[in-house]
Amino acid sequence: MYDNVIDQSKDITIVEILDRVLNKGVILIGDIVVTVADIDLVYVGVKLMLSSVETMEQLKSGNSIVEK
Amino acid sequence: MDKMIYAILSVKNNQEKLNLILVGMNGIAGANLNMVSLDGISAVVSDIRRGELIADKSNALAYAGVIENLAQQFTLLPMRYNSLMESTDSIIKILKRNLNEIQLNLRKVENKCEFGLKIFCNSEKLRAEMKAKSVANTKTPAKPAIENKYSVYRDYLNKKLIEHRSEELLLTHVDKIIQDITTHLAQLNPIHKFKKMTTATNIIDVVFLLEKDKKEDLIHIVKDLQNQYTGLRLMLTGPWPPYNFVDITLK
Repeated sequence: MYDNVIDQSKDITIVEILDRVLNKGVILIGDIVVTVADIDLVYVGVKLMLSSVETMEQLKSGNSIVEK
Repeated sequence: MDKMIYAILSVKNNQEKLNLILVGMNGIAGANLNMVSLDGISAVVSDIRRGELIADKSNALAYAGVIENLAQQFTLLPMRYNSLMESTDSIIKILKRNLNEIQLNLRKVENKCEFGLKIFCNSEKLRAEMKAKSVANTKTPAKPAIENKYSVYRDYLNKKLIEHRSEELLLTHVDKIIQDITTHLAQLNPIHKFKKMTTATNIIDVVFLLEKDKKEDLIHIVKDLQNQYTGLRLMLTGPWPPYNFVDITLK
């Protein structure tokens, strides 16, 4: 119905998903601390993608609604 | 084996339904999903070996995928990634200890979902406009006739004053937009959380919690706002499980 304003921006959605799943939600205190070998990679990925959102913002024009 | 918790669900009398759904799903690394239940709520869990969990993008997305699928069928509280416990018994204990708070949060998000709205602007253009306004409104004291050597300080202060007023004008502008959004959305009666100026171009970042059947109304409103603010770019995401609206720390 709103196809003209829906931008299927997968990258933005991934950033949004990672932001939520890593930073939001119910917190469990006293949980096991896991060795997270690649945790830096996750955050590097998020930062890179956030940059690309900003860059994309400058490149793209017109309105958009991102749908997952 | 440890237990990774994905979400806590309001299951009530639908345990059989949850069982059937879990049979058709997999958790991180293809692990089977199970439930740990207590008094009408269930924690969805999978086994995971300590030290084997890698917090990379694909695992985080797989984790989010489980929550997303469950949220389409049940009211739930999403857990933050890496929520691990040692055993089923320890999960039951923590559910028991926090039962009231869990039930309260589940009631708060029942039949609701989250949406995100990011508002971007051409920050350079907007700041330039604010600066122009600020310059026009800034009246500095007249130059002393003989103390030209102080002009460098005066210029510095003028520059700082203009910068400060530009920022004030920008924030006032952002507040006005927030007020406008709030007014437009009032008919949907959402719970919302606003953040201002999260990045140079992202001037507003807002999350809403509203009833699932109001999605189309929300899209209409965002579309209207976009038409109203042609110089801004509005990006709506969702529906999401209520990640931003669970105020609970399990102890």
